[in-house]
Amino acid sequence: MASVELSQLTKRFGGLEVISGLNLSVEDGSFCALLGPSGFGKSTLLRMVAGLETVTSGTVRIGDRDVTSTEPKSRGVAMVFQSYALYPHLTVAENIAFSLSLAGVSKAKKTEHVARVAAMLRLEPLLERKPAQLSGGQRQRVAIGRALVRDPSVFLFDEPLSNLDALLRVQMRLELAKLHNDLKTTMIYVTHDQVEAMTLADKIVVLDKGVISQAGSPWELYNRPANRFVAGFIGSPGMNFLKGQARHTGEGVSVTLQGGITLTLPPRAVAAFTGERTVEIGIRPEHVTLASGSAAQISGKASVVEYLGNTSFAYVDTPQGSIIVQADGATRINAGDTVGLSLTTAEAHIFDDTGQAWPHL
Amino acid sequence: MSTDPTARDTSQSTALSHLARSPAGILLTLLTLICAAIWFFPIYWALITSLRSDQATVQEFGMLPTEPTLSGYIFAIVNSELPIWYLNSTIVSVSVTVLVVFMSACTGFAISQLNFPGRRVLWWTILASFMVPITALIVNHFIIIAGVDLLNTHIGMILPMLLSPVTVIVYKQFFDGLPKEFREAAVMDGATELQVFLRVFLPMNWGVTTALSIITFIGAWNSFLWPFLVAQDEKMMTVTVGVSAVQDAYGVAYGRVLAGAVLASLPVALAYLFFQRRVTQAITLSAGIKG
Repeated sequence: MASVELSQLTKRFGGLEVISGLNLSVEDGSFCALLGPSGFGKSTLLRMVAGLETVTSGTVRIGDRDVTSTEPKSRGVAMVFQSYALYPHLTVAENIAFSLSLAGVSKAKKTEHVARVAAMLRLEPLLERKPAQLSGGQRQRVAIGRALVRDPSVFLFDEPLSNLDALLRVQMRLELAKLHNDLKTTMIYVTHDQVEAMTLADKIVVLDKGVISQAGSPWELYNRPANRFVAGFIGSPGMNFLKGQARHTGEGVSVTLQGGITLTLPPRAVAAFTGERTVEIGIRPEHVTLASGSAAQISGKASVVEYLGNTSFAYVDTPQGSIIVQADGATRINAGDTVGLSLTTAEAHIFDDTGQAWPHL
Repeated sequence: MSTDPTARDTSQSTALSHLARSPAGILLTLLTLICAAIWFFPIYWALITSLRSDQATVQEFGMLPTEPTLSGYIFAIVNSELPIWYLNSTIVSVSVTVLVVFMSACTGFAISQLNFPGRRVLWWTILASFMVPITALIVNHFIIIAGVDLLNTHIGMILPMLLSPVTVIVYKQFFDGLPKEFREAAVMDGATELQVFLRVFLPMNWGVTTALSIITFIGAWNSFLWPFLVAQDEKMMTVTVGVSAVQDAYGVAYGRVLAGAVLASLPVALAYLFFQRRVTQAITLSAGIKG
């Protein structure tokens, strides 16, 4: 096990800078997810930690060693690729033992290691099969086994579940969580799927065009987003954003939305200002409720309703903009219905015109 | 639209059987049969002539020999250096096959997967060398081989035959087509570049290697001009060169000459017979390159 420290890490491809002076600390034994949309530098960052990509500037430390210029095989890391990269001409057992045979490990030791890994990943009946004879989930387990057999200090996963169907993805997610609980090895996991990141990781790092937009626990990212990008990226369906004008009042921040509706939000840790500022209110669908009569702060017409059994999402067109509301599955709403909405302002977020959040106190 | 391959195959075979029964289909079949007969007739004629006695070859013109005999074959084997020519052809063809395939695979891997100064220049040189016919270089080859005193030797015969840009190009294309993750996974597992090549890339392409080996072997076995120039001693000749010498030695003894020719082409015919699918694959692989 080892921690990973990235300092002022920069990567340029020709004139294109994909990672810009990034600093990140992954604690020993933690599960860190690198999350962000495709093409925002997640895989490049992981490949720099693996040693598969050279570093333009900055340092990579694994444990107490500076491995910036160290060969991948000497870094003590193992990687699981998105495409599995299982050698098609070798059996499952040979695939798992490949690194051991390169290292000149004796046949008896190899068999012992393969048996240990196969037992952990329930691969015993498949050891003599070729990759072509395995299902997607089995291949993924073999790929994990190949990494596991090396007893690495750090595991690197590059979108390992994205080739699996939805059901298998859930199963494999559980297996990965169990694996991390059992091994307590440092894991860095690249994904664009927020559900994977939220369910697996202790720490999520959201990347936005090569820079860290926010790093923190899943709770922090969901409940205390540092900016509009993170707020919009985390959560499905996404956060509602409503434009307005903010000013300080005695009790907190008063925001006047389009249409003249004024909301009062709890005070924020923001420097005092006079007059009004253009802001956006961010509020998650579960913090918007259906209301009637005087309890309704906003009203509008439901354009689309998504019924998911235990819950429904209604997309309501209001004068303040489109608002997604999460309703109880038992409540019947039909497209075209006029509904009243009430906002739980204590849970709302405020973003200034640069997209930065005004922190909660 | 059906996506079941079995259903597609069935519908294709039904369409083909309909075509075969139509007048156009029958005409096409007849035309194909005539072309095949024209192509096959000289081979058939060589076979039946090789089974006739010397006297019968100038007296009989029937489609079957009246008194088949193996005397031509026995004479070619006993009274010529045919076993030695066979041995020479085998040494040269096997050496050329092994060396060409291994060197081309190495070169293809290096150009496709490694970063080194001059890689692009090397690639363009190989592509450019493809435009120069080997026969245009034969005088240069002869002068060089004579200069290093390798005439009349197996090495002298083999060396100029190792130039095979097509094989390099086929390998490079195949290595280019492999996902980069295979190489990266092997590198992470601790493999050196040589181990990546020998233990991952080469075994993943056995089909291509087999196909290229067969076609290279056939090409080397059938080659005539260069062995003819280099092998001046009868004991250094290959089968193809030796058979032409038989003709000179026996004058118009067609039965013996054709028996020698049949024996000379036997390994290639057998290779075609047993590895038909691989030979077709190799021709398809290199067809796009040869244009």
